[in-house]
Amino acid sequence: MKRTSMLVGMVASAALALTACGGNGNGATGDSAGPGSKAVQGGTVQVLANAAFSHLDPARGFDGGVNNFYRLIYRTLTTQGAAPGAEGTKIVPDLATDTGKASDGGKTWTFTLKDGLFFETGAPITSADVKWGVSRAWDPEVGIGSPYAKQLIDAPASYQGPYKSGDLPTITTPDAKTIVFKLKKPFADFGSVVAQNTFTPVPKGQGEGNQLDGKPIASGPYKVSEFKPGAALKLVRNDKWDKKTDAVRSANPDGFQWTFGLDPATIDERMIAGQGTDGDAIAGSVAAASVARIQTPQLKQRTMTGINGCTTYMGLNTTKKPFDNVKVRQAINLAVNKQTVRDAVGGSALADIATSIQPPSVAGRVDYDPYPSPDHKGDVEAARKLLTEAGFEAGFPLTLDIRAQPKMQAMAVAIQQALEPLKITVKINTIDTATYYEVIGTTSQQHDAAITGWCPDWPSGATFLPPLFDGRNITPKGNSNLAQLNDPGVNAKITEISELTDVQAANTAYGELDKQIMALAPVVPLLYEKVLMLVGSNIGGAYLHDGYSGGIDLVSVGLQNAGK
Amino acid sequence: MTTTPTLLEVEEVGTPVAAGGSPASARRILRIVTRDKGALACVLFLAIVVLMAVAAPLITKLSGWGPYAFDSAAIDSSLGGVPRGALGGISGEHWFGVEPQNGRDLFARIVYGARVSITISLSATVLTGVLGVVLGMLAGFYRGWVDQVISRVMDFLMAFPALIFMIAILSSLPAGNRPVLLVVVISAFGWPYLARVIRGQTMTLAGREFVEAARASGAKDLQVVFREILPNLRGSIVVMTTLAIPGYIGTEAGLSFLGVGVSPPTASWGQMISSSVSWYSVDPMFFAIPGAFLFLTVLSLTVLGDKIRTAIDQGEAAS
Repeated sequence: MKRTSMLVGMVASAALALTACGGNGNGATGDSAGPGSKAVQGGTVQVLANAAFSHLDPARGFDGGVNNFYRLIYRTLTTQGAAPGAEGTKIVPDLATDTGKASDGGKTWTFTLKDGLFFETGAPITSADVKWGVSRAWDPEVGIGSPYAKQLIDAPASYQGPYKSGDLPTITTPDAKTIVFKLKKPFADFGSVVAQNTFTPVPKGQGEGNQLDGKPIASGPYKVSEFKPGAALKLVRNDKWDKKTDAVRSANPDGFQWTFGLDPATIDERMIAGQGTDGDAIAGSVAAASVARIQTPQLKQRTMTGINGCTTYMGLNTTKKPFDNVKVRQAINLAVNKQTVRDAVGGSALADIATSIQPPSVAGRVDYDPYPSPDHKGDVEAARKLLTEAGFEAGFPLTLDIRAQPKMQAMAVAIQQALEPLKITVKINTIDTATYYEVIGTTSQQHDAAITGWCPDWPSGATFLPPLFDGRNITPKGNSNLAQLNDPGVNAKITEISELTDVQAANTAYGELDKQIMALAPVVPLLYEKVLMLVGSNIGGAYLHDGYSGGIDLVSVGLQNAGK
Repeated sequence: MTTTPTLLEVEEVGTPVAAGGSPASARRILRIVTRDKGALACVLFLAIVVLMAVAAPLITKLSGWGPYAFDSAAIDSSLGGVPRGALGGISGEHWFGVEPQNGRDLFARIVYGARVSITISLSATVLTGVLGVVLGMLAGFYRGWVDQVISRVMDFLMAFPALIFMIAILSSLPAGNRPVLLVVVISAFGWPYLARVIRGQTMTLAGREFVEAARASGAKDLQVVFREILPNLRGSIVVMTTLAIPGYIGTEAGLSFLGVGVSPPTASWGQMISSSVSWYSVDPMFFAIPGAFLFLTVLSLTVLGDKIRTAIDQGEAAS
């Protein structure tokens, strides 16, 4: 699920530059104090973007870019913090007064809503609206976003959402302020789950089919005033939102203006020039070719960089020969030259080298390198030794599935080059961007290896290792366990950790599980990609949020000078 | 890029001509070309390109870097992978500099790219030559329903939006053997331009006295076609195919530029130009070098083809 987000994110974030058209910020010239300086109230923030948002319906959209955007118009029971670093990934109450009370050994969770919550229509937000919003996740047409509600909350097997099946008996609302969830089995971190988009309130009876994709019903500080699919999106203040009920969103500007469909190179040019309203603009990560151009002191002052919280990796299909042999997989792990792979995506400014499966932003992650080589340039000799032990010193062919995208191709060629001395002939199989995940997620169509990425849905091993390596989750279609690893030891450990009631202890255990999995080498961790953003000179209060694929936290950003 | 470079020439190719004189005309063409400084320069440049293509492995052994070898030391990882040093990293080690982001040697890639360009354009020329001459002669010689069928197919192919169709076909076909696919697709749309001219000339020739004389003396169709008509078409075939080669080089580069040409990591000029686009402001040499080679090759072939045509026309006029 979130896999799509990450790779789309690569394209989209490279493209999500802020648009600087329209708006009014001509006062955006002069020396700026940098993106981190304080934002004032008022003005319109421009966003220049290449790809439009996947969905405006919170039950449908599910990727780092759209999750960040949803916080402007929607509220959930809890949400992530609004601060740089680990503070940003901490779960804090939003609509609810706290992060939930567990009972029945963690199987029942109770949340109480704050006072003074309203939809943009002026109607109060009640627990029945939250329940309605959550139960939409079971609708086969609408519930295509975050899967966690469906996975964790107990529901009749035949339940198909409120439009088709009516009331969901396992979520109860004893009064207008209280909502109680019954889970299938105890889940210690349910307080993080209710920060997912699916826990957005939707007025009871509304939101069927495509309704919310065209006209969202806002509960957050902004509402959609104008939406041209694929071209523009305008947000204005939602005056029914009360700041006193919201400790997370500073909601500085009076509005946001997105312009979609801009060429990434155009966005970079405009952000570098920063003319007119482009001074009030934010954008996604710059392209590799622009990195050398933003090294001047003036531009450096306007740049921000951080990791995007995802891992880019190459999955090795353990059901194919010779990749069923752990020594072969380890040899490939040793041989891949991660330096050249990193250079292929834009060098050290745009990626860090990955050694473990979980990226640094995940809680409990351990920094270790099970297959070390000098400068990460690959240890061909050690790899050859392993291949000889395994009886494959004569080499073998390897078909590598990649998306038809220049960055992916460059990475594939780097891997091809690194494996050549081992007589492993890499055949690059380019798959159309639109069908890529469908193809590699279909076990019968998958080849020997594939390059893809994964982002945690919240920064815990629980959303990283089980979906990728639990052998019991392998499905013929829509499979995310690309390695098709079905190791009894790993499966048992996943069950064991999921039963822990202490979130801290679970995260630490996932850090150890990471090591246990990498000993089997089902994947080659390649990169932790970074975002490198250039913001307009009038932008203030901007920082990169670890929880949203390293995007600028939209609920905190604003203008330094809102002069009309 | 266009797939119809030869279209313009159709009307201009000289009227069909008396037989014979071919050894003499070959010598005469050679003489005219060697006397003309511009043409000589073109021949020289083309000789270099062909030599590069033929001896690519030897040349890269000499220069020290293969077309696929990465050189991390030649690029600056912290600046997004731009080549270190001036002019895109031109140095004693990398004669034409290196490719950004991976440090592959541009000289080696130009040399190997010449192979792709030349092989594909020559193969496509041979294939269109054979198809065009055979089908054109069939149509012109037999007339009637054969001519009807062939001419309608030609009309259809020439009216077709060839480039769009090529892109569609090449992107939907499985990766397979790209160069062969390119040759087949380019040729499928290229042959009618030659065939149309050949058809017209065959029609005129078929009515000439020497053909009738041959028939009267008992020659079969096949003999008439190959002994009497074909030798008289030589001039047109030479001119039209020479002028077609640069068109095909351009088409191959164009298709590679659009991402449906040879698949990476194979070096191709069009692909190099395509990947250089985003780097134009920080590494202009990455664009300039493959661009210059593509430009000069196409220019040389066009100028040379033009000279040959003039020479043949003059010869024909003289005889």
